[in-house]
Amino acid sequence: MKAKILIVDDEEKFANSLAERLSIRDYDAATSVNGQDAIEKVSYCNFDVVMLDLVMPGMDGLKVLREIKKIKPLTEVIMLTALPNVEIGVEAMKRGAMDYILKPCEIEELISMIDRGYARKNEQKERIRATEVSGR
Amino acid sequence: MLGLKQVIKKIFGGKQKSSNTEKSPDDAINSRFKTKYWNFKNLLSINNTILESMSKIELALQGSQKFGMEFIRENCTSISVNIYKLIKKINDISDSHYETLYHSFANIQYGINQILEEKEKSFDGKPVLSIEEINTDSANYTGSKMANLGEIMNLTGINVPHGFVITVPAYHLFLKYSDLQKNINQQLQSVDIEDIKMLKMASSNIQKLIMQSPVPPELEATIFDGYKRLQEKTEKDVKVSMRSSALGEDSQESSFAGQYHTELNVRFKTLIDSYKKIIAGKYSIQAITYRFNKGLRDEDIVMCVGCMTMVEAVSSGVMYSKDPDGIHNDRVIINAVPGLGKAAVEGSVSPDLFEVSREQTFRLLKKEIHVKDQKTLFFSNKELRIIELSEQDKYGPAITDEQAYSLEKQAVILENHFNTPQDIEWAIEKDGMIRILQSRPLKQLKKEANEFIHTSLSIKVNNQTILSGGVAASPGVACGPAFVVNTAEEIYKFPAGAVLVAKNSLPYLATILNRAAAVVTDLGGIAGHLATVSREFNIPALFGTFVATQRIENKAIITVDTYSRKVYEGKAEALLKEFSAKRINSIKGSPVYITLEKVLKHIAPLNLTDPKGNNFTPEGCRTYHDITRFCHEMAVKEMFDSGTNNRQIKAGKRLVVDVPTQWWIIDLGDGLKGSMEKDTVGLENITSVPMLALWEGMMAVKWDGPPSIDIGGFMSIMVQSTMNRDLCASSRSIYTQNNCAIISKNFCNFSCRCGYHYSVAQTFVSDKSRENYIKFCFKGGAADHNRKFLRMKLIEEILVKYDFQVEIYEDYINATITGYDQFSTIKRLKMLGYLTMHTRQLDMIMGNSTRTAYYKKKLLKDISLWF
Repeated sequence: MKAKILIVDDEEKFANSLAERLSIRDYDAATSVNGQDAIEKVSYCNFDVVMLDLVMPGMDGLKVLREIKKIKPLTEVIMLTALPNVEIGVEAMKRGAMDYILKPCEIEELISMIDRGYARKNEQKERIRATEVSGR
Repeated sequence: MLGLKQVIKKIFGGKQKSSNTEKSPDDAINSRFKTKYWNFKNLLSINNTILESMSKIELALQGSQKFGMEFIRENCTSISVNIYKLIKKINDISDSHYETLYHSFANIQYGINQILEEKEKSFDGKPVLSIEEINTDSANYTGSKMANLGEIMNLTGINVPHGFVITVPAYHLFLKYSDLQKNINQQLQSVDIEDIKMLKMASSNIQKLIMQSPVPPELEATIFDGYKRLQEKTEKDVKVSMRSSALGEDSQESSFAGQYHTELNVRFKTLIDSYKKIIAGKYSIQAITYRFNKGLRDEDIVMCVGCMTMVEAVSSGVMYSKDPDGIHNDRVIINAVPGLGKAAVEGSVSPDLFEVSREQTFRLLKKEIHVKDQKTLFFSNKELRIIELSEQDKYGPAITDEQAYSLEKQAVILENHFNTPQDIEWAIEKDGMIRILQSRPLKQLKKEANEFIHTSLSIKVNNQTILSGGVAASPGVACGPAFVVNTAEEIYKFPAGAVLVAKNSLPYLATILNRAAAVVTDLGGIAGHLATVSREFNIPALFGTFVATQRIENKAIITVDTYSRKVYEGKAEALLKEFSAKRINSIKGSPVYITLEKVLKHIAPLNLTDPKGNNFTPEGCRTYHDITRFCHEMAVKEMFDSGTNNRQIKAGKRLVVDVPTQWWIIDLGDGLKGSMEKDTVGLENITSVPMLALWEGMMAVKWDGPPSIDIGGFMSIMVQSTMNRDLCASSRSIYTQNNCAIISKNFCNFSCRCGYHYSVAQTFVSDKSRENYIKFCFKGGAADHNRKFLRMKLIEEILVKYDFQVEIYEDYINATITGYDQFSTIKRLKMLGYLTMHTRQLDMIMGNSTRTAYYKKKLLKDISLWF
């Protein structure tokens, strides 16, 4: 089964076209155009990977990241940014992002990152299960 | 293709029970080991990503490719993020044993940030200054163009139009009001500067953005106030011209000639819109390209805007107080056209040429009058008019001899005042009054040009002459296929290395100038903007030939020689041999280049070279490279050192062999057989097919020891050693550090680090050809760039010979091969084992071509053993 993905970007056109391109490749992709909405969606829906824009009006990407990680620590988050910045990039990692990718991005690169995120999430899950089993 | 991941899955996966010979009864330990192994594997891959990125930016520093701030930001961010991940991983592996690495990381990151972060903006000072209030000292507020005008306004005998300037603080106020800079940077970040279509889109987006952004009301009021004061000094409803006066513009090194926008005949009502248009001009395609080619940082360029009363010019033009060729320094060179000077600087006509002696008595050294059959722009009665000249004016000179003389005197005054030759824009009004519109330093070429003319004329050229004549706007000889540009759209198709042929020498052509071998035009003089930019980029340019577009056939190979002012058919070998084109790499020493140099100091130098050294600690890490090196060493230690402390899980066994080396083996399942000690294994225990192949290759031929070093090589290492202090000590021993192999029957990940060289081979070999692969990475240091490069080329040559796909970044090599049958893959593994062992220190002798040839022959001969 392929990963379930949420794309969060205030540029609706970008989010939609990305979702479409992922759907063509059999991913289950949903979109969200602001932080608040994204957090809601994440809380009631189990996404494997969230693609999150760093710069958004209202709640910015770093804040949204923190909330997502609070609600669903295992969900992998990939930050999207049009402006690479050392400080913000590192800050995102500190808050638990898996990686970041520059916009506009090659779809192939993005997909390999999503797949890696999905695999990582499953490994984590597996590991936690294993520890629970052996701890019993 | 079965990668490491699948191999691991196969072995550790839930359903297929592991056939591990050392089955641990304790599942918890087993699971801890799994996690640890995963982390280790991840760490290695992050490690390689970092080394690759580092090599990429080191390569950029060689200066053979151009890059912008976007490139630096992107790579610094990527490396920083990965270093953070690396530190996290090593702490995951070691139960948070190396948390102090975060401190070293924070320090380095701070250093890099300081360099990349934008400087504090100055909002201090008046947003509008009258021209009487400024002089050369004001350049930091007004841009040098307006500052110079303010300065010369006070000189006797010089007249400048009245006006005012909208200053640096105004610019910052405007940008801040709508947070424009961030949006602009975002647009620029994604642009591939070589892709003109993409560039055009970004340029147009940014310009639209600027035009749509409001000017803050208080700034608007100040500008209106400036205009009202100008009215009081001149007349009601005075019309002004608005021109850029950028900071960083108009130095001898970067003229920015004609790259920006000018608005003529501006009324009160359109002041603000025109102001925005000039600001937007900073992002015209040619201005963006120009900055990129010059290595200028976008944020360093601030647009001030000069507003000056329109001059009712009957004639105007450009003059140079000395010859830009640096040959005829006894004369002032004047280009003149009727009406407004736009045509002269834009190069859309061939202007009249006057060369006036600088002696006290008036002497005309040269006078060339051209037919003015084009419509001409005039400003009179407060309106711009485009009119056809009378028959008499068409054939007559644009200025009189007396006027040429007066202009010459003013040029000398200006040169004396600024103490350097000047490039001057001027206009003459109806009553004969000369107005100076701009005066900036002139870039003069070196004197050698004179000798070149003699050389050029003495060479016998057998090629057919296509045309002869015109003016040498920028000197040189170059050859290439002609590309005739008729419309602005055609520049998108301009191929790199072609000779640009065009009717006019219009400034927009500067966009593709850097890709052109030479430029030939029908119209235009040496004082135009395109001429100035051609000289800056050292691109031969022959203007004003009148017949270029008629006589030169599109796509025909031609040779341009500006010394003899001729264009030849085909490749004029005799000339080209004499004048091998030397392009200035204009990015070295530029602000962008210097920025990269500065950040690299925090990234690339390796201080931690000796794992036994006192500084081999988290605190000793002063660069990202140090952190990478430290994490790698510690990760290997954590994985394979056994028993020394109870944090460790025994994961690896030491390989006992009769060579003095440290090899750690980690068995993923079926890579070992037979009885063995708890902590050690012998070669006879190893069943891993690829491991054995690599090993055989390594041991097949006795290593000669490090090649004896030639003097140049030794010097090069001495120089490099100033940064890497213990290099010399370690260079004589190859068996100093930990090497490790992770194996199964068909899989092997083989990494070895030795002094400066680090190589990894990962491979899977079985009888299913489709799944077989080898991935080989090598990063080598010491010696200087040239030697490293030669060694890389040698390795590449060998790898390519045996069908590997090879990528090289600076001193990082990445080679892969997939899908070969078992037999062929094993042969190549043996070859890699051999190469790993024998190419290590070859760069030290790479300066010597006979020695290089000798070693190359020897390597190829040894390798042929297996093929």
